[in-house]
Amino acid sequence: MVRLRYLKILVGGWILFLLLVSGLAAPFLAPYNPQEQRLESRLQPPSWMGGQSSSSWLGTDNLGRDILSRIIYGSRISLLVGATTVILAGLIGCFLGAIAGYFGHGTDEVVSKITEIFLAFPFLLLAIALMAFLGQGVINLILALMMSRWVQYCRVVRGEVLSLKERDFVTAAKALGGKDFYVLFKHVVPNTFASVTVIATFAMAIVIIAEASLSFLGLGVPASIPTWGSMLSEGRSYMNRAPWLTIFPGLAIFITVFGINLLGDGLRDILDPKLRREA
Amino acid sequence: MTKKKAGMSRRDFLKTSATLSAGAMLGPYIARDAFAASRDRVTIYHSSVADSLHPYNHSSSPIYGNWQHVIEPLVELDYQKQDYVGVLAESWEFQGKRWVFKLKKGIKFHSGSPLTSKDVAFSIDRMKNDKLSLQGPNFKDVSEVQTPDDQTVIFVMKQPNAIFLDRLENRFILSKVAADKYGDKLDQNPIGTGPYKYVSYQRGGNFVFTRNDDYWGGKADIKEVVFRKVTEDAARLAALEAGQADFINNVPVHEVARLQRHPRVRIDQIEGLRMFFLSFNVAHKPFDNKLVRQAVNYSVDAPAIVKNIFDGIGYPINGPVGSSVIGADPKLKRYPYNPGKAKELLAQAGYPNGCDIQLYYSAGRYPNDREVCQVVAAQMVKGGFRVELISQEWALFWGNEGVNGGKLPFYYIGRGSLTDADTLYDQYFRTGTTKWANYSNPDVDKLIEEEQKTPDQKKRIVLLQQAGKILMEDVPFVPLYNLADIYGAARNLVWKKRPDERVVGLDMKIK
Repeated sequence: MVRLRYLKILVGGWILFLLLVSGLAAPFLAPYNPQEQRLESRLQPPSWMGGQSSSSWLGTDNLGRDILSRIIYGSRISLLVGATTVILAGLIGCFLGAIAGYFGHGTDEVVSKITEIFLAFPFLLLAIALMAFLGQGVINLILALMMSRWVQYCRVVRGEVLSLKERDFVTAAKALGGKDFYVLFKHVVPNTFASVTVIATFAMAIVIIAEASLSFLGLGVPASIPTWGSMLSEGRSYMNRAPWLTIFPGLAIFITVFGINLLGDGLRDILDPKLRREA
Repeated sequence: MTKKKAGMSRRDFLKTSATLSAGAMLGPYIARDAFAASRDRVTIYHSSVADSLHPYNHSSSPIYGNWQHVIEPLVELDYQKQDYVGVLAESWEFQGKRWVFKLKKGIKFHSGSPLTSKDVAFSIDRMKNDKLSLQGPNFKDVSEVQTPDDQTVIFVMKQPNAIFLDRLENRFILSKVAADKYGDKLDQNPIGTGPYKYVSYQRGGNFVFTRNDDYWGGKADIKEVVFRKVTEDAARLAALEAGQADFINNVPVHEVARLQRHPRVRIDQIEGLRMFFLSFNVAHKPFDNKLVRQAVNYSVDAPAIVKNIFDGIGYPINGPVGSSVIGADPKLKRYPYNPGKAKELLAQAGYPNGCDIQLYYSAGRYPNDREVCQVVAAQMVKGGFRVELISQEWALFWGNEGVNGGKLPFYYIGRGSLTDADTLYDQYFRTGTTKWANYSNPDVDKLIEEEQKTPDQKKRIVLLQQAGKILMEDVPFVPLYNLADIYGAARNLVWKKRPDERVVGLDMKIK
């Protein structure tokens, strides 16, 4: 189904694009300052649900802050944390995986044992432990998520390199006098990019959810920065009286993760050589 | 084999529908039964429950409420009479430098041994000298505890102390016989004279008591009382609505209207004795500067917080203490909300470009504390401050690395059971009592010393008012408000409402 495959990429891509735009242009898009409290108009329902006319499209929260503006600004943290973590974890994971796969023997042993240790921890639990140890903050959050996310890249790249290094073009490159690192990073590693891209998109979705979970638990970024997770956390005691406090940030997380997953799915369909041949 | 007809036979249909309709009719009754509180066990979800089994390693009203099931004080305050009544003490006398107490006769500990003056002396000694005890400062004027006979306890004071009953109010008496028997395992075997006996304790889990059928004051109605610490407002409420808990504290104000229509839940409100304020520790910069402290006072708008965060169910404080507290001064006014003035004062204090500070709190401890602190931070921004909010777990917040060690420069706190201004002034603002504020002013010290020696209440109030006036000028704190304590209970559970945040099994009955 070629067309469905492109539709997935199109929809997913658009969602990610909109998210990027909203994150980058947040100060121009947001109708209000996300931190500005207007206590006199707290817990206002969305304007189309009978709230104060023409004020807040998605209503206001328990301190009278505009929910739409907070969601727009919140996308910055999701994107920043998601993208940075995925890229950094990807670099580390790919590098270690490539070395392990290519050189084998002792190197492989050491790297594989380390990945197994990390795999033994449930992902979110490791992130929680690291956050509790490092303390709140965006950089710490990225570090914690990265530490628990690089393993997957490492495993996949190692596996791919193991099979690639036996192929003729590698032998040829070596026969022509290519040094190990040159052959590895010039000829072998680029051939793993298809799988790495797919892992990266799925990892990004997982990281965005993890960031929201940690913020929900109060272990993410400090309270002064709006994030979707902390909006959910603060809004949940108002579920009965003002459900819009939790519905909209929840939707934002849902749509973002859905979009990224669609994109990843579509990319896999196209990049996976097996599926490509059948098409 | 008979051939089965497709679909359902008429008989099957009747059977099914009869079962279903019977279920539908009975369902609500079964459910309602499950929701009602039972005489056998009442489960209380509270935001604040003992953090350890050490009976004196705290100084917090709700936790006194836990312990008073098992161990009891000599005297307690009767809120209706506004006066002290004896619990273990039969009578007492103030003789200048001596306080003489006679114990009630015939009171027995759970282990069977009789209550004697030796138990009192032992317990006071432990409160005073145990390193983990946080109740020692109450006895700093006591030089000796004498026990001339089994029923008489004499406190010998360094100087006359007219307000000693207030200090004795929450000082619970353990059994000395048990202490000798268990040695350093005493805390795992708390033995007192109370209406309930200790059953089990798990930190973060349940604190369980069972009825003492031989209680000297008459048997309680409820057989077993279970306390569980749940700091999340929504979680406590959900447990009450689901019938998991029979009684909860700190019902969020925004849920009151909905719950008043709830078929199985009753809401009880009472004006609380807890005074909420922001405390400075003046040993830390920039709060060593009076102008900065005044600037904070000008930039925090307590009436707006009460109006918006607590839906108006609260009582902003005008002056250093609430108007119904002994020692309040109707002439003293709170600092008006004036961010412009705050900026001016900050500039005078040497911070023309504003000032970075941290505000500490322990999320979930007090009603809506997270929101209150966020609003305070936003208000202070207008006054020229840049505020970072830091929430800590209570044990950390209150412990030796926190308030008790004098490590937190600026924090949101509530002083419970505040009926007399002396309690607050002595604890927070007298030199050397605690490190909570590290404030030191010889004039205030002198007034407190004098006031504590004065048996005449009218004269004492004048002295307290003088101290209050100095404190309002120096402002080592930002007085905020008292709140209504809002409780949720199963409808068939009746209890004697108390203004001191304690939930006590003895006060409860099942209708």
